[in-house]
Amino acid sequence: MNYPVWDVPVIGSGWTIGIIAIIHILISHFAVGGGIFLPMAEAKAIREGRKDWFPALEKFSKFFLILTGVFGAMTGVGIWFSIGLANPEGTSALIHNFVFGWAIEWVFFLVELTLAAAYYYTWGKVSERDHLRLGWAYAIASIGTLVIITGILTFKLTPGGWLAFAGSGEEPHHFFEAFFNAGYLPSLGLRILVCVSLAGIWALVYFGGMDGETEGPTKEKLVRWAAKWILPAYALMPVFALWYYTTIPADHRELFQLGVSTIGQGAFTHVTRMALMAVLSSATIALVIFLFAWLFPRELTRGQGLAILFLALLATASGESVREFLRKPFVVNGYLYSNGVRVLNIDKVNRVGYLANSPWAKPVTDTTLPSPEIGLRMFQGQCMACHTVDGYRSMKRLAGGRDGKAIGSILKILKDHKPESPYYKYMPPLVGNAAEIESLRQYLDIMANGKLTSGVVDTRPKPAKAGADTTVVRTDSAKVAPVADSLKVAKDSLKVAPKDTAKAPASKASADTAKAVKPKADTAKRP
Amino acid sequence: MAKSSSVAPESRVYRWLDERLGISEIVELAGKKRVPEHKHSFWYYWGGITLFFFLVMCVTGVLLLVYYRPGDGAYESVRLITYDIKFGWLVRSIHSWSANLMVAAAFVHMFSAFFMKAYRRPREFLWFTGIGLLSLSMLFGFSGYLLPMDELAYFATKVGLAIPATIPVVGPWIADLARGGPEVGAYTVSRFFALHVVVLPAMFVPLLGIHLALVQKHGMSIPESEQAKPEKARKSIPFFPNFAMKDMAVWLIALNVLGFLAAVYPWQLGPAADSLMPAPMDIHPEWYFMSSFQILKWFGNWFPGALGEFLGIAVFNVGVLLWAIVPFFDPEKRSGVWGRRVTWFGIFVVFVILLTTIWGYAVLPAGK
Repeated sequence: MNYPVWDVPVIGSGWTIGIIAIIHILISHFAVGGGIFLPMAEAKAIREGRKDWFPALEKFSKFFLILTGVFGAMTGVGIWFSIGLANPEGTSALIHNFVFGWAIEWVFFLVELTLAAAYYYTWGKVSERDHLRLGWAYAIASIGTLVIITGILTFKLTPGGWLAFAGSGEEPHHFFEAFFNAGYLPSLGLRILVCVSLAGIWALVYFGGMDGETEGPTKEKLVRWAAKWILPAYALMPVFALWYYTTIPADHRELFQLGVSTIGQGAFTHVTRMALMAVLSSATIALVIFLFAWLFPRELTRGQGLAILFLALLATASGESVREFLRKPFVVNGYLYSNGVRVLNIDKVNRVGYLANSPWAKPVTDTTLPSPEIGLRMFQGQCMACHTVDGYRSMKRLAGGRDGKAIGSILKILKDHKPESPYYKYMPPLVGNAAEIESLRQYLDIMANGKLTSGVVDTRPKPAKAGADTTVVRTDSAKVAPVADSLKVAKDSLKVAPKDTAKAPASKASADTAKAVKPKADTAKRP
Repeated sequence: MAKSSSVAPESRVYRWLDERLGISEIVELAGKKRVPEHKHSFWYYWGGITLFFFLVMCVTGVLLLVYYRPGDGAYESVRLITYDIKFGWLVRSIHSWSANLMVAAAFVHMFSAFFMKAYRRPREFLWFTGIGLLSLSMLFGFSGYLLPMDELAYFATKVGLAIPATIPVVGPWIADLARGGPEVGAYTVSRFFALHVVVLPAMFVPLLGIHLALVQKHGMSIPESEQAKPEKARKSIPFFPNFAMKDMAVWLIALNVLGFLAAVYPWQLGPAADSLMPAPMDIHPEWYFMSSFQILKWFGNWFPGALGEFLGIAVFNVGVLLWAIVPFFDPEKRSGVWGRRVTWFGIFVVFVILLTTIWGYAVLPAGK
């Protein structure tokens, strides 16, 4: 075991990442947009002789430095911690494939932090021209971080040509195929527009606190100028959004349709619902800015600014969750499933067993098979990245009302992972040998019903004619010889699992598969 | 501050309409009306927020009428709306959430009016009509709760109707009238439907009109702390366009909150009601009835039998009556002894409502 299993009760690990990420996005996009806003405002003040703007801009740059330097950086690190714990395989894949990208991004980030501090501390201490240069240098560095991170984020949905090298051990050598993927440019355009809008919105929050009576004329000009920053997004966002939509793979685009006519449990209607929310909040935010800030700039209050920011939060949260949900059932489309299983490894994992192949699973103390303890390990390894026991996407609720037999049937559907399955579009395949699947069934049965109710599911590959139903549901596991055989195999593999896992590198499983695909590949050489 | 001309353009269309409808006279009148601006101004928006949720409820209610079938087909029609018809779930969720948010906003509006002493002379009728509107809103909620006819709605209504049945003499008659028979069933749904879409709106809309007319007549109430200031030190903004435009912005924010709740927590439908099944363990009314539900339960525990139920209802009704006639105890603009007593009474009421609501949910048994 290399990692502890991360159990976040109630909200689950997905939402933990989500909450940290949404705060981070609100701040980090401001870090980029604000980097353009400040030197532009300063240049305008110099050009038009608005000396009264300088004290307000200096205070705003202090607010900017503290917010982005402290909270932006802190939440950025928080994302790394949380994704690493929630989905170590996915995080590992991103680190390995984009080492060069991360290195560049962190250099930009260091430069960005340094320049943000330099920009604030040199107000009035260097010439206007030099100060402005510092501001523009910051803007370039911050845009640099966005240019890099966007490539890595969009890669996850549209890895495109890189997939041909997936599992070969040569992935990092194909950095540019991965980076300049189909979704990159439209996504970069969308993000820049969001950055610019958020700069205006944060400025409204800050300038809303100015006194409308004593600083009336300055406040009026600054507030109206900041309000205009929402306009580029309104003019161009539909164009970029449409462009981005065309790059989404067709089968993922279908996820938008799932929630049109139903909110049925287990039907995965999130994408539709959150997309509607993103459209609503994005469409209304400009109107609210017009009514609060543009019409009555001197009367704008901090509270009203925060209300506008709240709408930005809703728009960001819903937009980002749509982007994340659209990748289902993958973390990296076509390469890595959301349960941390690589597409290329499925056959092997089904043959040898999931736990024996997972470097993250905790060794079991009771190796009697099948056992709910092994079921728990399966649940932790394959379900908990998205589900909780009784909170968000509660397994207890989803399995509720079903006996062990029905739960077994659903596990069979998930294991088979056929295109006609209702879960195919958004659930990854369940992997593992028969003993592990049966253990998971028992664990879920006890979770849902408080005790073992019925049924053993034979998930062996079909020996019969194509199209014949090979699901064999039995009521007495002690009498099932074929299943018992596979249990023995799995039991043996489990006994040696901890030792093997300790020796194996994180990518051993994929290395084995890679050998099958490309005999000369050697994943041990991966950075 | 922006001039009203920016909102009322002198276009040809405007002039054409103005000549026929007298828009500029209305705008001029609205411009003369001023809204006080002070540290408590935030609370002035809550009446508008309540009205907004009511309007959303009306629009979505009409859309639901297209597919909803009262009577025996009630459950199936709601199932269709929720799980089959395109965006039916969205309309239903927005309707249900706006109903809840409307009651919540009405409570905030009532308590803010109470603590800002907005019920004092000459605004007594504003207070009375407001109390009437809140009561009707809660009845809207109660009657709408049954309409899907799922398990929880059925049993909650059954329990809810058992409460008025304990009122001496007229109680059983009221309960029978509402149920349309000895048991909650398809006739009850039909009656509640008629109440929900005809009777209550017919009472609510005129009362709302009176309430709004009285707001126009008396203007916004100014809290005592502002009244103590000299006239010149008091700030205000024109109702139109300044306050009206900000009100619009607040409505848009409310719309987003509503959309968020409907998107993240869409209104689900429970299993169909079955009178032969035992009631679920966690049977409970909507949150805004939880306080009264818990008070009645508490009295029932202390005084078992009909006496406890009667006492509970009596104490509760006396409390509501005292709350409604509070302008008679504290009519003067300056707070005297009664003014302070009434404030303490308000704090006590808020405390009791919060405590009994939390208590009610805390002791709720887990689902079946």
